[in-house]
Parts: sequence; C-alpha cells; structure tokens
Amino acid sequence: MNRAIVELTARQLLGQRRSLLLVVFALIPVGIALLYRFEGQQPNHVQWTANVLGARLIVGTLLPIAAVIFGTAALGSEFEDGTAVYLLSKPLSRSRVVLSKLLVAWLATGALVLASVLVAGAIAIRDIPDQGVLLGFAVAVAAGSLAYCSVFVLLSILTSRALITGLIYVFIWEGLMTALFSGTKVLSIRQYTIGVAKWLTTTSERTFAARLDGPEALALMVVMSILATWLAVRALARWEIGESG
Amino acid sequence: MTATTERETATAGAPAPAPAIEAVSVSRWYGNVVAVNDVSFALGPGITGLLGPNGAGKSTLLHMLAGFLAPSAGSVRMFGETIWKNEALYRRIGLVPEREAIYPFLTGYEFVLLSARLHKLPDPEAAAARAIRIVDMGSAQDRAAAGYSKGMKQRIKIAAAIVHDPEVLLLDEPFNGADPRQRLHMMDMLREMAAAGRTIVFSSHILEEVERLAENVLVVVSGRLAASGDFRQIRKLMTDRPHTFTIRSSDDRRLASALVSDTAVFGVELGSDRLTVRAADFAAFAHAVAKVARGAGVSLFEVLPTDESLESVFSYLVKR
Repeated sequence: MNRAIVELTARQLLGQRRSLLLVVFALIPVGIALLYRFEGQQPNHVQWTANVLGARLIVGTLLPIAAVIFGTAALGSEFEDGTAVYLLSKPLSRSRVVLSKLLVAWLATGALVLASVLVAGAIAIRDIPDQGVLLGFAVAVAAGSLAYCSVFVLLSILTSRALITGLIYVFIWEGLMTALFSGTKVLSIRQYTIGVAKWLTTTSERTFAARLDGPEALALMVVMSILATWLAVRALARWEIGESG
Repeated sequence: MTATTERETATAGAPAPAPAIEAVSVSRWYGNVVAVNDVSFALGPGITGLLGPNGAGKSTLLHMLAGFLAPSAGSVRMFGETIWKNEALYRRIGLVPEREAIYPFLTGYEFVLLSARLHKLPDPEAAAARAIRIVDMGSAQDRAAAGYSKGMKQRIKIAAAIVHDPEVLLLDEPFNGADPRQRLHMMDMLREMAAAGRTIVFSSHILEEVERLAENVLVVVSGRLAASGDFRQIRKLMTDRPHTFTIRSSDDRRLASALVSDTAVFGVELGSDRLTVRAADFAAFAHAVAKVARGAGVSLFEVLPTDESLESVFSYLVKR
C-alpha cells in the first residue's frame, strides 16, 4: 500500500461528479424503505428487508453500480487522462499501485453501500428483532464490494472501455444470466454476497433463501478477489503506453 | 544507417561503465506496421536531441527508453539493466511525457510533492520546493494545475520529473506550448543539468530547437535511425545536400546558359515560365546567382528554394 496513492485516489474519486450522483443513488433504497414503512401492507418486515431491500435493491443494483463506477475510475481514469504515467514512472511495485487503488475503490464503495444498508434497513425493519439481517447484509456488502472492485480494477487495466464493459457485465451477467441459469451461481458475485448475508442471519429458508451456502460463497468470493487482484497486478506490469508518433 | 555515439570514457585498467542508455537493434511493430526499425545507439552524459518529423517513431522510441513500451525485438538498457518491467530503475530516471495531463485538482506544489513522496525522498517538501525553484514556478505553485497555461504545465511536469535529481532525464517534445522566454529558461536549465553530468534526451520535430540545445543528435525518419552523432556534422550533411531552386527572370534562356558554366550548378531545366536549377551547395549558389545574373544582364524576379521542408531534408538523409 502507498499512502500518497491512497490520498491521491481518494481526492480523485470523491471529487468527481459521478460520486455525487452515486450518493443520490444510494438514497433510493432509503426512500423506498420510507415508502414501505408508511404503506405498512407487508406482514413480514424481515422477509421484505432481506429479499426486496437487501438482495434486490442493494446487492442487486446499488452495490454493483457503485463498485463499477469507483472500481473502474480508481485506475481507469488515470489511463484515460494520461496521468497514469506519473505513477508508473516511479520506483513502486505494480502490486502497491493496484492495492492502493483497490483499497480506495473498496472503501468508497463499501462506505456508500454500507450506509445505505444500515439506514434503509433500520427504517424498514422497525423495532422488531431483525434476525441478524442488518449485520448479515452489512458484512456481505463489505465483502462483496471488495470482490466487485477487484474485478473492475482489473477491467480498467485490460480495456479502455471499462465502465461500459462493467455495466454490461452487471446487467447481462449478474442481472440476467444468473437469474435465468442457476448453474452460473458459482461465477456470480451477487450470489456470493447473498450467500454470505444469508449465512450470518438466523432467518428460515422460507423467509430468506440463498443459492450458495455461506462457507462456499465466502470461499468463492475470496478466490475471485485474489485472482482478479493478481491478474490486475500482472496486467499492470505489462501495461504499455498508447502511441502517438 | 545506424551509428553509435559512445561518450563514456573508461579509466585505464577498469572495466568501462555501462552507458547510461543503450539501444541494441531495437524494433517495435504494431501488427504489420513497423514504428521503429532496427535502431542501435548508446548515450552518455550530455544533451541528445531525438529529431524527426511527426510520426517518425520518436515517441515510440522514447517510450521504449522510458520502459513504457516493450521492444518487439532487440533490447533497451539503462546503466546496463533492462528497463522494461524494472521499476527500481525509475530512481535514476525522470520522464516528462508529451501529454499535457496533470491532476487538475492538485496545485503545482502538490503535484511536485506527490512525485517526491512517490520517490520516497527523505525530505519531500524541500525537494519539491527546490525543483519548483529550478523551473521558476514559485509564483504559481499554489494555483490549481487546471488553470495553468501549456507552458506552465510543461515546467511543472519538468519539476516533478527532476524532483529526485535523476541521472537520466527523458523529455517528449518539451518545448511544445512554451513561449520564447520559457523556452530559453528551460534550455538553460537543461544545459546546467547536462553540465552536472546528467544524461538528457529530448524529442523534437523542430530543427532549430535541437540545433540550439543538443550537441548530439539522433535523426529518426520512418522508424529508422537516419543519422546519429555530433550535431554539427549532421547539420553539414543537411546543408551540403543538393538543393533545387526555381527562378523567374527577365530572360530565363540567357540566364540558364550563364548558370550552366557556374561550378555551384550541376543541372538546369528550362520551363515555359521559369527556370529550375539544381545546385550542390545552398550558400555557394545563393551567392553566385545574383553575380551570374548581373554578368549576363538579366534581372531576377524571384529565386525560390523548393525543397527546404524538414521532411525533404530527412528523406535526403535516409536515401544517402
């Protein structure tokens, strides 16, 4: 890890307009939780909070969108505007560069999504026992943020169209393919995250179900994060500058 | 044509130190396009100008020297070590890229300080202040880089590149956008660094820039090293090449017959409204033409050199 890169990246990410839009986006689950609370039709608040708010809105939408924006911008924006050369012409190992960028992307994504989980969840669950749903989703989105960000940092080194590619991955693979074909669950960060969240709750299968067992989901998530980070370091070591005469 | 300029001196009995920069049969291609073709040279302390027209392969070559492009064939070494995938060598190298991009949210001082911190210098604040003083950017150091002019960005980029006092400084078109005063200041600064034993390589497509600054030159044309070595010798090659002039006069036919007997002229072609003359020496012909015309009683209306573009000079060097 390199402190100068961490500080630089934090200023880069927090200063961009997209980050402000993401904060607005993170408020949507909070707004929906408020609407749900005032409507008061659903009989099982835990079930609604876990399935609709947690799994669908936050893990299914907010988490991958925040991760793709922060993850691809952390290093990708430097390739885009030509400033990456200032980092890469220094006596720093490429692993340090990747890990520093990944740390900031992860913290930014994790903080935003975690805040949304805790605030929206607390509003929706009211004052009844939550059966570990809030804690489960809090831990799961923190771990899921890391897995997503490591994949998107890798993507930003491999392609100059990382944001578009990442969004296609989120909507086509995570959103559509894993919904249609259950066999794809072992290659879905969304399913890993839901698996970890379910593992940490005490809810019944009828209330909240996951396609992957908790330990299996966590193991796959760890493998995915390490593999993507390792590939990102390798790709950065082989990165070549664009040409112009 | 390839040539080698070896300016390192070996002390008697001791093994010769590795040159600061060495390219051995370096080529780089993109699919079927060859950007750099079998280039070899070795450079030591002093200023070397990498000269060539736009698209000649200068940036490709400079990026390979900086370790940002892998050679497709051959090798690039700095101080005897391969530069590609060798991050540790950046302790000894400073790089000023051509692109203007600087983090727009940082001030000039913060940008140079970042460079000092990334180099893990013991006193980054003092190093940043020193580098900014050298490029004369003290008065603008606290302004956001986003508001800098092109010339100011070049200077702050140089400050960031020299903050760790590198032994080798690579600059890609460093004078682009600099006004004449800034240009002179940057040239003086680079001369001082060279006098202190640093190896400086800069690329340019402007002959006059290279002429004013570099004592050593690498001329790159179409990816190949067209000439290399002492700038004065290469300048002479450029000046001594055949030159073509078009002339309009009061009597082209009479002038043609007078010019044929002049030793500076080796070809005359009579056109419908002008005369085309080929001369061996630019300066000798420029002196002779007026005298010959006066002697023949002909009035000169127009004398134009037709092939003085840098591209034509370069293509002459390649054909030699």
